[in-house]
Amino acid sequence: MSASASSAAVAEHPLEESKFSLYVQIAMLLAVITGLELVTVYLPFVKWLLIGVLVVLSTVKFLFVIFYFMHLRWDKLFCTILFFIGLVLAGATMWALLKLFGADAAKPLETSLLAPATAVRAWWV
Amino acid sequence: MSSSAAIGAIDHHHDPSTSTGIPNKKLLMWAFLASDCMFFGCLISTHLIYRLHPPPDVPLAKNVFSIELTSFSTFILLMSSLMMALAVNAIQKGNLKSMRWSILTTILFGLIFLGCQVYEFRNFVFEKHMTISNSILGSTFFTLTGTHGIHVLIGVIWLTSMLIYSFTGRLSEKNAIDVESMGLYWHFVDIVWIVIFTAVYLLEYL
Repeated sequence: MSASASSAAVAEHPLEESKFSLYVQIAMLLAVITGLELVTVYLPFVKWLLIGVLVVLSTVKFLFVIFYFMHLRWDKLFCTILFFIGLVLAGATMWALLKLFGADAAKPLETSLLAPATAVRAWWV
Repeated sequence: MSSSAAIGAIDHHHDPSTSTGIPNKKLLMWAFLASDCMFFGCLISTHLIYRLHPPPDVPLAKNVFSIELTSFSTFILLMSSLMMALAVNAIQKGNLKSMRWSILTTILFGLIFLGCQVYEFRNFVFEKHMTISNSILGSTFFTLTGTHGIHVLIGVIWLTSMLIYSFTGRLSEKNAIDVESMGLYWHFVDIVWIVIFTAVYLLEYL
């Protein structure tokens, strides 16, 4: 490749040259965040705060991987929309299920309460 | 302009020959990953629902899990994602040799992750006496992490096939999209583990 052609190609895609160091920096950041998550679970704070911190940290990791390693940042917006449709549907289903089964009425019956009930024969038998 | 310089001008993020401007293989992979999100979403919520209301005889997850081993697995999978990203970057620049080394390292990291998972499963079954059928924790845990492990195994097989294919001389910068699609799948396996690590393991230690 001639020098002029090479510089022309780099000028067209300046990001390509810096991606290697960018990827390494992101990977180091992800490793540090994982370490922070580990430390977080042993901190003597209220549970809801720790859960919030863990959710934020894992969301940051998630977003770094999909936008940089999976190239969503440089790809067409449609790829992001397509993936987020699945993600939002999955997230909404999880939220709905956890709300439904988190209610007091959804708690499973105690075994002692359940045993006599199963012994009752149905009216049509 | 030399042929290599002409190839260097390939835009890997846009394909003018398709109506969406996105390469069809990439679009297919994103659609598949979106559907796989829902699949894992259901498995994770099933696990969390049963953790909300654990039966009285269920083993304490904190006593069963080994956070050191899982953290090591997480680190390994993150590093495999880095190597996969470097492999895609290498093939997009036409650097076949660098791509092969990156893929080989990714395979190695994938195998280490699987080895850790097999060790963990063996430990749970034979040391902690938690199987897929003797407790609700075991059922949801083994189903979720086992499904993820199968995804990793499929990824390792795909990577190995691509590595062998690269030696046939038919893989070049022009079909970098094949490596990129495989990379998308591998990164997805990584992001699913990011969620599992927090939702299944770390939350038990609070």
